[in-house]
Amino acid sequence: MNASAWHMLLEGAWTTVWISGISIAMGVTAGLILALIRLARIPVVDQLLVLYISLARATPLVTLALFIFLSAPTFGINLDRNVAGILALTLNTTAFNAEIWRSAFRNFSREQREAAMAAGMTPWIIFRRIMLPQMMITSLPGLINEMSFLIKGSPAIAVIGIVDLTRVTNRISAVTYEPLPPILVACALYMAAIGSLVWLQRIAERRANRLAV
Amino acid sequence: MFEKNTSEQTASEKTVPDDAARTDRTAVSIRHLSKSFDGVEVLRDVDLEVREGDVVTILGSSGSGKSTLLRCINWLEQPDSGSIHIGGQRIGVNDAGRPMPVRELAQVRARTGMVFQSFNLWPHLNVLHNVTEAPIYVLGKSKAEAEAHARELLEKVGMSAKANAYPSTLSGGQKQRVAIARALAMQPEVMLFDEPTSALDPELVGEVLAVIKDLSAEGYTMIIVTHEMAFSRAVSDKVVFLDKGLIIEQADPETFFTNPSTERVRKFLEREVI
Amino acid sequence: MSNWEILWSARDQFWRGFFSTMEIFGLSISAAFAIGCGMLYLLEGSRPRLTVPLRVFIDGMRMLPFLILAYLLYYGLPAFDVRLDAWWSGVGALAVYHGCYFAEIFRGARLTFPPGQVEAAKAHGFTKGKMFFRLILPQIVMQTRPLLGNQLIYALKDTAFLVIITVQELTAAANSLSGTYFIPTEAFIVVIGFYWVVSVVMEIIIKQCGRFSAKRGFDNV
Repeated sequence: MNASAWHMLLEGAWTTVWISGISIAMGVTAGLILALIRLARIPVVDQLLVLYISLARATPLVTLALFIFLSAPTFGINLDRNVAGILALTLNTTAFNAEIWRSAFRNFSREQREAAMAAGMTPWIIFRRIMLPQMMITSLPGLINEMSFLIKGSPAIAVIGIVDLTRVTNRISAVTYEPLPPILVACALYMAAIGSLVWLQRIAERRANRLAV
Repeated sequence: MFEKNTSEQTASEKTVPDDAARTDRTAVSIRHLSKSFDGVEVLRDVDLEVREGDVVTILGSSGSGKSTLLRCINWLEQPDSGSIHIGGQRIGVNDAGRPMPVRELAQVRARTGMVFQSFNLWPHLNVLHNVTEAPIYVLGKSKAEAEAHARELLEKVGMSAKANAYPSTLSGGQKQRVAIARALAMQPEVMLFDEPTSALDPELVGEVLAVIKDLSAEGYTMIIVTHEMAFSRAVSDKVVFLDKGLIIEQADPETFFTNPSTERVRKFLEREVI
Repeated sequence: MSNWEILWSARDQFWRGFFSTMEIFGLSISAAFAIGCGMLYLLEGSRPRLTVPLRVFIDGMRMLPFLILAYLLYYGLPAFDVRLDAWWSGVGALAVYHGCYFAEIFRGARLTFPPGQVEAAKAHGFTKGKMFFRLILPQIVMQTRPLLGNQLIYALKDTAFLVIITVQELTAAANSLSGTYFIPTEAFIVVIGFYWVVSVVMEIIIKQCGRFSAKRGFDNV
């Protein structure tokens, strides 16, 4: 592999990183919002969300990315492929994150909430000061786990023409006629990224266990 | 027993009234309180007056409804009928007779402080911040003011050395003392203790009871649900005995423990070593 | 003709895609299951020199996206003069990849397997192999079925990646139909419906297995 091949590879890696990063940030936030809406148990809305979560969990990312990218123009929306890719990843990861957040809510200690109510806190202060900080700690291992799933799923966006870390190996071998080296380097980069997430997850688990008094 | 009214109240905004006034004024007034869970009546037409500065202990066998009674006072349980006034203000129901809006309910709750059987400290906050959290976010105190007051209170319960420790590193007795400081930090008009020593190892009970005794000597109004007979006898101005949701005896501790008027209480006391 | 009527007239293409996906899925998941069981058996420790490399291999696979493994088999193997077509590369990659996940799931359950049972079996003169296949494996499989069920759904979803290496499966069918008739929305809704139904059916089957297993007392040993 020559310098320009390395350069292309790093560019592909960067594409994977920024697209995944944005999707993770949006997915974690949207997941929290969905979890909150589901806790309110609004009729119809609740059933729709259950359907969405069930569909999003069963739909392959490749299929979802193609669906969004190809069908948007038929509704008169011209989607940039990056936006379509981010949208697909976000729609997918949000469903999983919503379930993680929701279980953190449902398992939150009733006693601690009572202690906060007895101290005269309003529901919003209880949520913001007592529940959310702890839910962030207890959900973090699950959220990080979901992040590594997102990165493992991110090559799906290649199907709509985004040149990510996986797809770029094709581009490089089209020039060098040696597909193996770039694929192996890409493997190593993925392992480094996901390996560090696994490591972070372990730290997060230790912190979460410490919280459980 | 409640002559002194010292130091800690000086930092207070809601200053506790001076001794002359406090002996007659009602801190908590409970009228015709009834509550049932799934058709089982746990409280039946309970009436109870607690004067400012009084220490009232509630005794009774388990399942007698004493914890439920205590939890109704700050509306953690909603009674089916009857009324509760704290410092003259009705809790849970507003002037129009409707359920109180959450914000208003929170304000009335802030006039009481509660100590739970299982401590219920917030594990993500260290000891100091457990104590300052509500004063800052409910009373709107400044951080500095809340921390200064919290340190005084931690000193009082003998926990100032652990101000920066997290709850998971503390023993049960230490947790409960922090929980007491946390409740005191709100400068409540009445302190509610829900079996504060029942979850403790026997050797840790003493340190918590000693703190509560100190508070009683300082003139705090307290309602204590407990199983500790000797403690009840030593600190109470009034002992209340609940049986199957009914108050069947209320008396000063001497009368209650030496000459109870009901057979039920006599039987109960026989089983206890005082 | 409405878009839906166009789709109906092209239903054969959907069915072909669907059966192709199910064929790939069925074959690769069976192989993956066998690989997972085999790895668990090797991890039992009869060949100590194998355990460490095997653990490294399993962990390594779990850190890779599925597609890059498919690339490795499809584009990379020819460097060693091994040429697999897209279909076999896909099935092979799915089998190895999900085999490692199965192995990891089994390994987690094996760690908490009651040692008393193993000792009792040894005392009764079971051979290592018999003990593994008659005693340990069945219980571990029944015990881990919710996780296995999840993994099946992941494997089903991963089959869609194969469209990228030109395997003709369900997503490829939707893609080509939407290209031919320019009805992407409808085509993909149908295909997503297919995936969804298969997932839901798998979930129901796993739950039914749960009932069977509860009856046989697998859960409260």
